[in-house]
Amino acid sequence: MKRALTTGLGASGSALLLAALGMVFLYVPTEATQGIVQRIFYFHVPCAWIAFVSFALVAICGIFYLWLDQQVWDDLGYAAAEVGMVFCTLVLITGSLWAKPIWGAWWTWDSRLTTTLILWLLYGGYLMLRAMSEDTAQVARYAAVVGIVAALDVPVIVVSVRLWRTIHPAVLVTRQGGHGLEDPRMVATLLVSIAAFTLFAAWLLMLRFATLRTRTRLNELARHLALNELSRRGEE
Amino acid sequence: MAGLSAVLLKDLKLELRSGQSTIALVALSLLILVVLVFALGNEGVRGPEGAAGALWVALVFAGTVGATKALLAEGENGCLRGLVISPVDRATLFAAKMMAAAIFMAIAEIAAVALMVLFFNLEFDARLARIVPILALGIVGFAALATLLAAVSGRTRAADLLMPILAVPMFVPALIAGVKASAGVLAGRPLSGLQAWLGILVAFDIIFVVSGYLLFEQVARED
Repeated sequence: MKRALTTGLGASGSALLLAALGMVFLYVPTEATQGIVQRIFYFHVPCAWIAFVSFALVAICGIFYLWLDQQVWDDLGYAAAEVGMVFCTLVLITGSLWAKPIWGAWWTWDSRLTTTLILWLLYGGYLMLRAMSEDTAQVARYAAVVGIVAALDVPVIVVSVRLWRTIHPAVLVTRQGGHGLEDPRMVATLLVSIAAFTLFAAWLLMLRFATLRTRTRLNELARHLALNELSRRGEE
Repeated sequence: MAGLSAVLLKDLKLELRSGQSTIALVALSLLILVVLVFALGNEGVRGPEGAAGALWVALVFAGTVGATKALLAEGENGCLRGLVISPVDRATLFAAKMMAAAIFMAIAEIAAVALMVLFFNLEFDARLARIVPILALGIVGFAALATLLAAVSGRTRAADLLMPILAVPMFVPALIAGVKASAGVLAGRPLSGLQAWLGILVAFDIIFVVSGYLLFEQVARED
Protein backbone atom coordinates (compact mmCIF):
# COMPACT_ATOMS: atom_id res chain seq x y z
CA MET A 1 0.00 0.00 0.00
CA LYS A 2 2.66 2.45 1.11
CA ARG A 3 4.98 1.30 -1.65
CA ALA A 4 2.21 1.71 -4.24
CA LEU A 5 1.58 5.25 -2.98
CA THR A 6 5.27 6.10 -3.17
CA THR A 7 5.60 4.68 -6.69
CA GLY A 8 2.41 6.45 -7.78
CA LEU A 9 3.66 9.78 -6.42
CA GLY A 10 7.03 9.29 -8.12
CA ALA A 11 5.54 8.36 -11.47
CA SER A 12 2.85 11.05 -11.55
CA GLY A 13 5.24 13.66 -10.21
CA SER A 14 7.85 12.88 -12.86
CA ALA A 15 5.28 12.87 -15.66
CA LEU A 16 3.82 16.19 -14.54
CA LEU A 17 7.29 17.70 -14.13
CA LEU A 18 8.04 16.81 -17.75
CA ALA A 19 4.71 18.35 -18.79
CA ALA A 20 5.47 21.48 -16.75
CA LEU A 21 8.92 21.72 -18.35
CA GLY A 22 7.30 21.43 -21.81
CA MET A 23 4.75 24.08 -20.97
CA VAL A 24 7.36 26.47 -19.56
CA PHE A 25 9.58 26.22 -22.63
CA LEU A 26 7.16 25.56 -25.49
CA TYR A 27 3.64 26.57 -24.58
CA VAL A 28 3.57 29.63 -22.38
CA PRO A 29 4.04 33.02 -24.11
CA THR A 30 7.08 35.09 -23.25
CA GLU A 31 6.32 37.87 -20.79
CA ALA A 32 6.38 41.24 -22.58
CA THR A 33 8.57 43.38 -20.30
CA GLN A 34 10.86 40.81 -18.65
CA GLY A 35 11.44 38.52 -21.60
CA ILE A 36 12.67 34.97 -21.41
CA VAL A 37 13.99 35.12 -17.79
CA GLN A 38 10.46 35.42 -16.49
CA ARG A 39 9.99 31.72 -17.25
CA ILE A 40 11.99 30.83 -14.13
CA PHE A 41 8.99 32.17 -12.22
CA TYR A 42 7.12 28.90 -12.96
CA PHE A 43 9.75 26.98 -11.00
CA HIS A 44 10.44 29.66 -8.41
CA VAL A 45 6.88 29.94 -7.08
CA PRO A 46 6.26 26.17 -6.68
CA CYS A 47 9.59 25.86 -4.83
CA ALA A 48 8.58 28.62 -2.43
CA TRP A 49 5.23 26.96 -1.87
CA ILE A 50 6.87 23.58 -1.09
CA ALA A 51 9.39 25.21 1.25
CA PHE A 52 6.72 27.00 3.27
CA VAL A 53 4.44 23.95 3.46
CA SER A 54 7.38 21.78 4.56
CA PHE A 55 8.39 24.18 7.32
CA ALA A 56 4.79 24.32 8.55
CA LEU A 57 4.82 20.52 8.54
CA VAL A 58 7.98 20.53 10.69
CA ALA A 59 6.18 22.55 13.36
CA ILE A 60 2.99 20.46 13.17
CA CYS A 61 4.99 17.24 13.49
CA GLY A 62 6.85 18.79 16.43
CA ILE A 63 3.59 19.51 18.23
CA PHE A 64 2.30 15.98 17.60
CA TYR A 65 5.60 14.45 18.69
CA LEU A 66 5.63 16.31 22.00
CA TRP A 67 1.97 15.55 22.51
CA LEU A 68 1.80 11.86 21.54
CA ASP A 69 5.45 10.87 22.00
CA GLN A 70 5.44 8.66 18.91
CA GLN A 71 8.68 8.36 16.94
CA VAL A 72 6.81 8.44 13.62
CA TRP A 73 6.10 12.19 14.07
CA ASP A 74 9.77 12.91 14.62
CA ASP A 75 10.74 10.99 11.49
CA LEU A 76 8.14 12.82 9.43
CA GLY A 77 9.24 16.20 10.83
CA TYR A 78 12.89 15.47 10.08
CA ALA A 79 12.05 14.40 6.51
CA ALA A 80 9.94 17.54 6.01
CA ALA A 81 12.78 19.78 7.25
CA GLU A 82 15.20 18.21 4.77
CA VAL A 83 12.79 18.52 1.83
CA GLY A 84 11.92 22.08 2.86
CA MET A 85 15.59 23.02 3.04
CA VAL A 86 16.22 21.74 -0.51
CA PHE A 87 13.34 23.75 -1.94
CA CYS A 88 14.13 26.84 0.15
CA THR A 89 17.66 26.73 -1.30
CA LEU A 90 16.16 26.43 -4.79
CA VAL A 91 13.93 29.45 -4.11
CA LEU A 92 16.96 31.54 -3.19
CA ILE A 93 18.95 30.33 -6.21
CA THR A 94 16.18 30.72 -8.80
CA GLY A 95 15.31 34.10 -7.28
CA SER A 96 18.91 35.28 -7.63
CA LEU A 97 19.11 34.06 -11.23
CA TRP A 98 15.98 36.03 -12.04
CA ALA A 99 16.97 39.12 -10.06
CA LYS A 100 20.33 39.63 -11.78
CA PRO A 101 18.93 40.53 -15.25
CA ILE A 102 15.71 42.13 -13.93
CA TRP A 103 16.88 44.10 -10.89
CA GLY A 104 20.54 44.27 -11.91
CA ALA A 105 21.65 42.65 -8.65
CA TRP A 106 21.86 39.10 -7.34
CA TRP A 107 20.47 40.15 -4.04
CA THR A 108 18.49 43.04 -2.57
CA TRP A 109 17.25 43.33 1.00
CA ASP A 110 13.65 43.23 -0.13
CA SER A 111 11.27 41.99 2.56
CA ARG A 112 10.43 38.69 0.85
CA LEU A 113 14.06 37.88 0.12
CA THR A 114 15.13 38.74 3.64
CA THR A 115 12.33 36.68 5.18
CA THR A 116 13.19 33.68 3.01
CA LEU A 117 16.86 33.96 3.89
CA ILE A 118 16.08 34.04 7.62
CA LEU A 119 13.79 31.01 7.21
CA TRP A 120 16.64 29.24 5.44
CA LEU A 121 18.99 30.07 8.34
CA LEU A 122 16.44 28.93 10.93
CA TYR A 123 15.90 25.53 9.35
CA GLY A 124 19.60 25.21 8.57
CA GLY A 125 20.08 25.50 12.34
CA TYR A 126 17.42 22.84 12.87
CA LEU A 127 19.24 20.44 10.54
CA MET A 128 22.62 21.22 12.13
CA LEU A 129 21.15 20.40 15.52
CA ARG A 130 20.07 17.03 14.14
CA ALA A 131 23.37 16.42 12.40
CA MET A 132 25.41 17.23 15.48
CA SER A 133 23.62 14.90 17.86
CA GLU A 134 22.68 11.26 18.30
CA ASP A 135 19.28 9.81 17.41
CA THR A 136 17.86 9.84 20.90
CA ALA A 137 14.37 10.68 22.12
CA GLN A 138 15.89 13.69 23.85
CA VAL A 139 17.29 15.13 20.63
CA ALA A 140 13.96 14.45 18.93
CA ARG A 141 12.31 16.59 21.62
CA TYR A 142 14.93 19.32 21.15
CA ALA A 143 14.26 19.32 17.42
CA ALA A 144 10.51 19.45 17.99
CA VAL A 145 10.94 22.45 20.31
CA VAL A 146 13.18 24.25 17.79
CA GLY A 147 10.71 23.52 14.97
CA ILE A 148 7.78 24.89 16.96
CA VAL A 149 9.61 27.97 18.23
CA ALA A 150 10.93 28.74 14.73
CA ALA A 151 7.41 28.58 13.30
CA LEU A 152 6.10 30.87 16.08
CA ASP A 153 8.89 33.29 15.23
CA VAL A 154 7.95 33.47 11.53
CA PRO A 155 5.00 35.94 11.86
CA VAL A 156 7.17 38.34 13.91
CA ILE A 157 9.97 38.03 11.35
CA VAL A 158 7.57 38.81 8.50
CA VAL A 159 6.13 41.89 10.27
CA SER A 160 9.50 43.25 11.40
CA VAL A 161 11.20 42.75 8.04
CA ARG A 162 8.31 44.35 6.17
CA LEU A 163 8.34 47.34 8.49
CA TRP A 164 12.11 47.58 8.19
CA ARG A 165 11.81 47.76 4.39
CA THR A 166 8.83 50.09 4.12
CA ILE A 167 10.50 52.70 6.33
CA HIS A 168 13.64 52.53 4.19
CA PRO A 169 12.35 51.52 0.76
CA ALA A 170 14.68 49.55 -1.48
CA VAL A 171 15.19 50.48 -5.13
CA LEU A 172 12.64 47.88 -6.12
CA VAL A 173 10.16 46.75 -3.56
CA THR A 174 7.41 45.68 -5.89
CA ARG A 175 7.85 42.50 -7.80
CA GLN A 176 5.70 40.61 -10.18
CA GLY A 177 3.30 38.36 -8.33
CA GLY A 178 0.64 35.87 -9.34
CA HIS A 179 -1.85 38.61 -10.15
CA GLY A 180 0.48 39.92 -12.88
CA LEU A 181 -0.24 36.94 -15.11
CA GLU A 182 -2.54 38.36 -17.80
CA ASP A 183 -2.45 35.44 -20.19
CA PRO A 184 -4.56 32.37 -19.17
CA ARG A 185 -1.75 30.17 -20.53
CA MET A 186 0.55 31.63 -17.87
CA VAL A 187 -1.93 30.72 -15.13
CA ALA A 188 -2.28 27.20 -16.57
CA THR A 189 1.49 26.71 -16.69
CA LEU A 190 1.90 27.94 -13.14
CA LEU A 191 -0.85 25.62 -11.86
CA VAL A 192 0.60 22.57 -13.65
CA SER A 193 4.03 23.45 -12.34
CA ILE A 194 2.76 23.81 -8.76
CA ALA A 195 0.95 20.44 -9.02
CA ALA A 196 4.08 18.79 -10.46
CA PHE A 197 6.36 20.16 -7.75
CA THR A 198 3.89 19.24 -5.02
CA LEU A 199 3.73 15.61 -6.17
CA PHE A 200 7.47 15.49 -6.66
CA ALA A 201 8.15 16.93 -3.18
CA ALA A 202 5.61 14.55 -1.63
CA TRP A 203 7.48 11.71 -3.30
CA LEU A 204 10.82 12.92 -1.92
CA LEU A 205 9.21 13.26 1.49
CA MET A 206 7.86 9.70 1.37
CA LEU A 207 11.25 8.30 0.33
CA ARG A 208 13.08 10.17 3.06
CA PHE A 209 10.40 9.28 5.59
CA ALA A 210 10.69 5.58 4.70
CA THR A 211 14.48 5.76 5.15
CA LEU A 212 14.11 7.40 8.53
CA ARG A 213 11.51 4.84 9.61
CA THR A 214 13.94 2.07 8.72
CA ARG A 215 16.66 3.82 10.68
CA THR A 216 14.37 4.08 13.70
CA ARG A 217 13.56 0.38 13.48
CA LEU A 218 17.26 -0.47 13.20
CA ASN A 219 18.02 1.65 16.26
CA GLU A 220 15.28 -0.13 18.19
CA LEU A 221 16.62 -3.52 17.13
CA ALA A 222 20.16 -2.57 18.10
CA ARG A 223 18.99 -1.39 21.52
CA HIS A 224 16.98 -4.56 21.97
CA LEU A 225 19.97 -6.73 21.05
CA ALA A 226 22.25 -4.84 23.42
CA LEU A 227 19.77 -5.31 26.26
CA ASN A 228 19.49 -9.02 25.53
CA GLU A 229 23.26 -9.34 25.49
CA LEU A 230 23.49 -7.58 28.84
CA SER A 231 20.89 -9.78 30.52
CA ARG A 232 22.52 -12.90 29.04
CA ARG A 233 25.87 -11.88 30.52
CA GLY A 234 24.15 -11.19 33.81
CA GLU A 235 22.81 -14.74 33.91
CA GLU A 236 26.20 -16.31 33.25
CA MET B 1 7.90 30.81 44.44
CA ALA B 2 10.38 29.39 46.94
CA GLY B 3 11.89 27.28 44.18
CA LEU B 4 12.20 30.28 41.91
CA SER B 5 14.03 32.40 44.47
CA ALA B 6 16.21 29.46 45.53
CA VAL B 7 17.50 28.81 42.02
CA LEU B 8 17.81 32.50 41.20
CA LEU B 9 19.64 33.27 44.45
CA LYS B 10 21.96 30.31 43.83
CA ASP B 11 22.94 31.74 40.45
CA LEU B 12 23.34 35.26 41.83
CA LYS B 13 25.40 34.08 44.80
CA LEU B 14 27.63 32.05 42.50
CA GLU B 15 28.11 35.10 40.34
CA LEU B 16 28.75 37.40 43.29
CA ARG B 17 31.53 35.10 44.49
CA SER B 18 33.26 34.51 41.18
CA GLY B 19 32.08 37.45 39.07
CA GLN B 20 33.01 35.40 36.03
CA SER B 21 29.99 35.87 33.79
CA THR B 22 29.57 39.57 34.41
CA ILE B 23 33.24 40.39 33.95
CA ALA B 24 33.40 38.25 30.80
CA LEU B 25 30.24 39.84 29.41
CA VAL B 26 31.43 43.39 30.12
CA ALA B 27 34.85 42.65 28.62
CA LEU B 28 33.31 41.05 25.57
CA SER B 29 30.90 43.97 25.05
CA LEU B 30 33.83 46.38 25.27
CA LEU B 31 35.82 44.35 22.74
CA ILE B 32 32.91 44.11 20.32
CA LEU B 33 32.43 47.90 20.43
CA VAL B 34 36.15 48.44 19.83
CA VAL B 35 36.20 45.93 16.97
CA LEU B 36 33.22 47.63 15.36
CA VAL B 37 34.84 51.06 15.60
CA PHE B 38 37.93 49.68 13.83
CA ALA B 39 35.93 47.64 11.33
CA LEU B 40 33.60 50.43 10.28
CA GLY B 41 36.19 53.20 10.27
CA ASN B 42 35.82 56.61 11.80
CA GLU B 43 33.11 57.85 9.46
CA GLY B 44 31.09 54.64 9.47
CA VAL B 45 30.43 54.68 13.18
CA ARG B 46 29.36 58.28 13.69
CA GLY B 47 25.81 59.08 14.65
CA PRO B 48 22.95 57.32 16.39
CA GLU B 49 22.52 54.64 13.70
CA GLY B 50 26.06 53.32 14.11
CA ALA B 51 25.93 53.58 17.89
CA ALA B 52 22.62 51.70 18.13
CA GLY B 53 23.87 49.03 15.75
CA ALA B 54 27.07 48.53 17.72
CA LEU B 55 25.15 48.34 20.99
CA TRP B 56 22.89 45.58 19.69
CA VAL B 57 25.73 43.62 18.13
CA ALA B 58 27.34 43.67 21.57
CA LEU B 59 24.06 42.54 23.16
CA VAL B 60 23.61 39.61 20.78
CA PHE B 61 27.14 38.27 20.90
CA ALA B 62 27.85 38.89 24.57
CA GLY B 63 24.46 37.37 25.35
CA THR B 64 25.16 34.26 23.28
CA VAL B 65 28.53 33.69 24.87
CA GLY B 66 27.12 34.34 28.34
CA ALA B 67 24.28 31.86 27.89
CA THR B 68 26.58 29.14 26.55
CA LYS B 69 28.99 29.70 29.42
CA ALA B 70 26.24 29.59 32.03
CA LEU B 71 25.06 26.30 30.58
CA LEU B 72 28.51 24.71 30.45
CA ALA B 73 29.01 25.74 34.09
CA GLU B 74 25.82 23.86 35.01
CA GLY B 75 27.08 20.84 33.13
CA GLU B 76 30.11 20.55 35.44
CA ASN B 77 29.85 18.07 38.31
CA GLY B 78 26.35 17.10 37.25
CA CYS B 79 24.82 20.37 38.51
CA LEU B 80 22.22 20.32 35.76
CA ARG B 81 21.07 16.86 36.70
CA GLY B 82 20.83 17.99 40.32
CA LEU B 83 18.64 20.91 39.26
CA VAL B 84 16.45 18.70 37.09
CA ILE B 85 15.80 16.17 39.86
CA SER B 86 15.27 18.85 42.51
CA PRO B 87 11.63 19.38 43.56
CA VAL B 88 11.39 22.54 41.47
CA ASP B 89 9.14 22.24 38.45
CA ARG B 90 10.71 22.85 35.07
CA ALA B 91 8.76 25.97 34.25
CA THR B 92 9.99 27.59 37.46
CA LEU B 93 13.51 26.47 36.61
CA PHE B 94 13.16 28.20 33.26
CA ALA B 95 11.89 31.40 34.90
CA ALA B 96 14.79 31.44 37.38
CA LYS B 97 17.44 30.73 34.74
CA MET B 98 15.95 33.35 32.45
CA MET B 99 15.94 35.99 35.20
CA ALA B 100 19.56 35.23 36.10
CA ALA B 101 20.59 35.52 32.43
CA ALA B 102 18.64 38.79 32.10
CA ILE B 103 20.29 40.27 35.20
CA PHE B 104 23.82 39.45 33.94
CA MET B 105 23.00 40.81 30.51
CA ALA B 106 21.56 43.99 32.03
CA ILE B 107 24.78 44.63 33.96
CA ALA B 108 26.81 44.11 30.78
CA GLU B 109 24.47 46.42 28.88
CA ILE B 110 24.85 49.23 31.42
CA ALA B 111 28.59 49.06 30.81
CA ALA B 112 28.07 48.82 27.04
CA VAL B 113 25.80 51.90 26.98
CA ALA B 114 28.37 53.92 28.93
CA LEU B 115 31.12 52.81 26.53
CA MET B 116 28.92 53.56 23.52
CA VAL B 117 28.42 57.13 24.72
CA LEU B 118 32.18 57.57 25.06
CA PHE B 119 33.21 55.85 21.83
CA PHE B 120 30.52 57.38 19.65
CA ASN B 121 30.76 60.89 21.12
CA LEU B 122 27.16 61.00 22.35
CA GLU B 123 25.96 62.89 25.43
CA PHE B 124 24.92 61.58 28.83
CA ASP B 125 21.39 63.02 28.73
CA ALA B 126 17.68 62.20 28.78
CA ARG B 127 17.93 60.23 25.55
CA LEU B 128 19.81 57.51 27.40
CA ALA B 129 16.89 57.12 29.81
CA ARG B 130 14.63 56.44 26.86
CA ILE B 131 16.86 53.66 25.59
CA VAL B 132 16.39 51.76 28.87
CA PRO B 133 12.93 50.26 28.16
CA ILE B 134 14.05 49.27 24.64
CA LEU B 135 17.14 47.48 25.92
CA ALA B 136 15.12 45.90 28.73
CA LEU B 137 12.69 44.41 26.21
CA GLY B 138 15.57 43.14 24.09
CA ILE B 139 17.32 41.61 27.11
CA VAL B 140 14.18 39.81 28.31
CA GLY B 141 13.55 38.39 24.85
CA PHE B 142 17.13 37.30 24.36
CA ALA B 143 17.38 35.81 27.85
CA ALA B 144 14.23 33.74 27.25
CA LEU B 145 15.41 32.59 23.83
CA ALA B 146 18.94 31.86 25.03
CA THR B 147 17.79 29.93 28.10
CA LEU B 148 15.55 27.68 26.01
CA LEU B 149 18.13 27.18 23.26
CA ALA B 150 21.03 26.65 25.65
CA ALA B 151 19.05 23.77 27.14
CA VAL B 152 18.40 22.47 23.62
CA SER B 153 21.98 22.62 22.40
CA GLY B 154 23.63 21.92 25.76
CA ARG B 155 23.84 18.17 25.52
CA THR B 156 24.77 17.98 21.86
CA ARG B 157 28.32 17.53 20.59
CA ALA B 158 28.97 21.15 19.65
CA ALA B 159 26.91 23.14 22.15
CA ASP B 160 28.97 26.32 21.89
CA LEU B 161 28.65 26.31 18.09
CA LEU B 162 25.03 25.34 17.86
CA MET B 163 23.75 27.90 20.34
CA PRO B 164 24.50 31.03 18.20
CA ILE B 165 23.50 29.21 15.00
CA LEU B 166 20.05 28.62 16.46
CA ALA B 167 19.70 31.82 18.47
CA VAL B 168 20.80 34.53 16.04
CA PRO B 169 18.26 33.88 13.23
CA MET B 170 15.48 33.58 15.78
CA PHE B 171 16.48 36.89 17.34
CA VAL B 172 16.34 38.75 14.00
CA PRO B 173 12.92 40.41 14.51
CA ALA B 174 13.88 41.73 17.95
CA LEU B 175 17.26 42.82 16.58
CA ILE B 176 15.68 44.81 13.74
CA ALA B 177 13.13 46.42 16.04
CA GLY B 178 15.68 47.06 18.79
CA VAL B 179 18.24 48.72 16.51
CA LYS B 180 15.61 50.90 14.84
CA ALA B 181 14.04 51.96 18.14
CA SER B 182 17.42 52.62 19.77
CA ALA B 183 18.62 54.66 16.80
CA GLY B 184 15.34 56.58 17.00
CA VAL B 185 15.70 57.58 20.64
CA LEU B 186 19.41 58.35 20.27
CA ALA B 187 18.46 60.68 17.43
CA GLY B 188 16.13 62.44 19.86
CA ARG B 189 12.78 60.96 18.89
CA PRO B 190 10.25 60.31 21.69
CA LEU B 191 9.25 56.71 22.51
CA SER B 192 5.67 57.39 21.43
CA GLY B 193 6.88 57.75 17.84
CA LEU B 194 8.42 54.30 17.86
CA GLN B 195 5.39 52.27 18.85
CA ALA B 196 5.57 49.86 15.92
CA TRP B 197 9.11 48.77 16.86
CA LEU B 198 8.25 48.54 20.55
CA GLY B 199 5.22 46.44 19.60
CA ILE B 200 7.44 43.96 17.77
CA LEU B 201 9.78 43.75 20.76
CA VAL B 202 6.85 43.13 23.11
CA ALA B 203 5.37 40.47 20.80
CA PHE B 204 8.76 38.77 20.53
CA ASP B 205 9.16 38.75 24.33
CA ILE B 206 5.69 37.33 24.87
CA ILE B 207 6.24 34.55 22.31
CA PHE B 208 9.58 33.45 23.69
CA VAL B 209 8.83 33.83 27.39
CA VAL B 210 5.56 31.90 27.05
CA SER B 211 6.90 29.20 24.72
CA GLY B 212 10.04 28.82 26.84
CA TYR B 213 7.93 28.52 29.98
CA LEU B 214 5.72 25.88 28.37
CA LEU B 215 8.38 23.95 26.42
CA PHE B 216 11.23 23.93 28.95
CA GLU B 217 9.65 20.86 30.54
CA GLN B 218 10.31 19.01 27.29
CA VAL B 219 13.95 19.96 26.91
CA ALA B 220 14.96 19.59 30.56
CA ARG B 221 13.47 16.11 30.82
CA GLU B 222 15.92 13.23 31.09
CA ASP B 223 15.23 9.71 29.87
